[in-house]
Amino acid sequence: MRPTAAAVLLAGVCAGALLAHRLPALGVLVVLLLAVSARAGRRAKPYLWGTLYSAGFVFLLSPLLQSTGYHVLWEGWRVPVLGTLDVTTEELQLAALNALRLAAVGLAFAVYALLLDHDRLIAAATARRSVLAAALATRLVPTLERDARGLVEALRGRGLAPEGLHGHAALLSPLLAGSLERGLNLAEAMEARGFGRPGRTRVPAPPWRALDALGVAGAVVAALAGALWL
Amino acid sequence: MALASLTGLSFSYPDGGLALDDVTLSVEPGEVLLLLGPSGSGKSTVLRALAGLVPWFHGGRFEGRVEVAGRDTRRTRPAELAGTVATVFQDPEDQVVLGRVDAEVAFGLENVGMPPSEIAARVADALEAVGAAPLTGRRVTELSGGELQRVCLASALALAPQLLLLDEPTSQLDPEGAESFFDVALQGDAGVVLSEQHPRLALPYADRVVFLERGRVLLDAPRDEALAWLEEHRPAWAVEPRNSLLQASEPVYRSGPSAVFEPCNSLLQGEAEVVCRVERASYAYGDGPPAVDGASLELRRGEIVALTGPNGSGKSTLAKLAAGLLEAQAGSVTRSGRATFLLQDPGRYLVCERAVDEVGLGADTERARRALADVGLAGHEDRHPRDLSSGERERLALATVLVTEPDLLVLDEPTRGIDPERKAQLAELLRAQAHARATLVVTHDRSFARSVADREVSLAPEREAVHA
Repeated sequence: MRPTAAAVLLAGVCAGALLAHRLPALGVLVVLLLAVSARAGRRAKPYLWGTLYSAGFVFLLSPLLQSTGYHVLWEGWRVPVLGTLDVTTEELQLAALNALRLAAVGLAFAVYALLLDHDRLIAAATARRSVLAAALATRLVPTLERDARGLVEALRGRGLAPEGLHGHAALLSPLLAGSLERGLNLAEAMEARGFGRPGRTRVPAPPWRALDALGVAGAVVAALAGALWL
Repeated sequence: MALASLTGLSFSYPDGGLALDDVTLSVEPGEVLLLLGPSGSGKSTVLRALAGLVPWFHGGRFEGRVEVAGRDTRRTRPAELAGTVATVFQDPEDQVVLGRVDAEVAFGLENVGMPPSEIAARVADALEAVGAAPLTGRRVTELSGGELQRVCLASALALAPQLLLLDEPTSQLDPEGAESFFDVALQGDAGVVLSEQHPRLALPYADRVVFLERGRVLLDAPRDEALAWLEEHRPAWAVEPRNSLLQASEPVYRSGPSAVFEPCNSLLQGEAEVVCRVERASYAYGDGPPAVDGASLELRRGEIVALTGPNGSGKSTLAKLAAGLLEAQAGSVTRSGRATFLLQDPGRYLVCERAVDEVGLGADTERARRALADVGLAGHEDRHPRDLSSGERERLALATVLVTEPDLLVLDEPTRGIDPERKAQLAELLRAQAHARATLVVTHDRSFARSVADREVSLAPEREAVHA
């Protein structure tokens, strides 16, 4: 399937997940997306951890911050501003729903970032600049991960391994500075290679096939199914 | 008529002093012009001026005139010069835009408006020319530094430029890789301006040499004349330094996977303390093949050992095992005392906002100031590390490991981006402090290895150990 069709399908799946209200349907969708993103092997690890942590955080925290439902399962302390902390069955269901929606969107992004050929996506895009910016931003995740590993290794080499949350948080500023520097270097190289010059051409794209049409139709079906039946 | 010319060019970056001072030079069609000069002498700025990036991209104060193929760069944007001019920058990772090799090479062709039907053939020809045809379709993130540099060269050559600008393009390559890079890059019809820190590798290819210092042209002469001038005025750039401690001997090839070597340095033939012993150590990254397979190495206090070998032979991995940054998956590594390790490209991995604080992470401020002075950075204590030049950053990073006064000092490619004079100073500094520790230097730079080391351990790709 060409990347444009795959991207449209993933967007449809995301829309479907955000509109769906049935936990089992969302659960199945998350498992499917998990299986697809696992095809990327070790590269999928940071995306999977990021998604699962975020979803877990939403599931654990949101029942405490909401005041919905009548079937109280647990009642705790009274906190200024928030009121009494409690957990109801309805809040748990809603939290699970939101966590699964978030997981589905996160995993769909992982599939987009890891398995789609962004170069062909850029080549096919009408808004080439925006798609190129999105592709470069997508590449930022593994670059930042590699830079972070380099920083930790450099400090360990000096006998200064960062420890705890505070130690690792101190690396954020140099990481940001490093990525800005990379960005400037890349912008310079792009300018030198003629980016932004009028009259650009593009490598001819392969013709649409039945599978691509099926992908786009699948996107519409996924969004409609999420809104109407799931 | 000259293909490109700089006439009375003076330039200052927005946040800096004078980078170029009244520079006049020209490049003839088909000529290979070699730019030499210490770090910060203005070589990269000359290349940027020829590409139009100075002043368009960087801003700053620009006086004089730069013409490329008859076009004044003050009136022509860099993007409009693309195609006529093509640049290969120092760090391939910072110039790759797209994710796959063929798309990356096609990027410039698309930008300059090449007819779509011709792009695929041009991409294939360029990749073939640099010996990178087998990389077609591969993800750029899967490539080694050397492979990536070839892809960058292919991207430049695909444009069939009249002027090819190469900014220290071989800094990540071993000598064989660098030679084959020059063989490909410098044999075309384009005029070439090449900035290099390894003059010995580049000089045979040059028609003319320009030597820059503090932004001024000190020499502009044909190669043979330039060689004579370098020998007389800048011997570090012309004559290969020798280490009088290193006993000359023929290389000994050993076919086994491991070897323990006795020091050649006659001063160390006694009972020097063993600081680190690696015995039949193996290590593989993830599910890949072993990067190091059954290697042995012994490092004694007072000696400097150069670990050499081509790209991908496992030098850095073996060095990390020795320093304790990696745990051996088989075999053993024993160390006594404190070990420190300086990564490749350490300038990227600085964490503080003042140079003295960066070095002071490992010691008190007074020792930090002394360490900065030792590496020639006295007076730079309060500067932000990212405001330093790349060569200065490398030296700052060196100070961060020297200040800890380790028992085992491991340096991974410490001469990358460093000019021959600084290299000689680094060798002198390491030799002066050698008695206090065992030192392992991983390097592609054979002349540096010969100038600094008591012995050399070489890893061949098949893990054959070569000992000189």
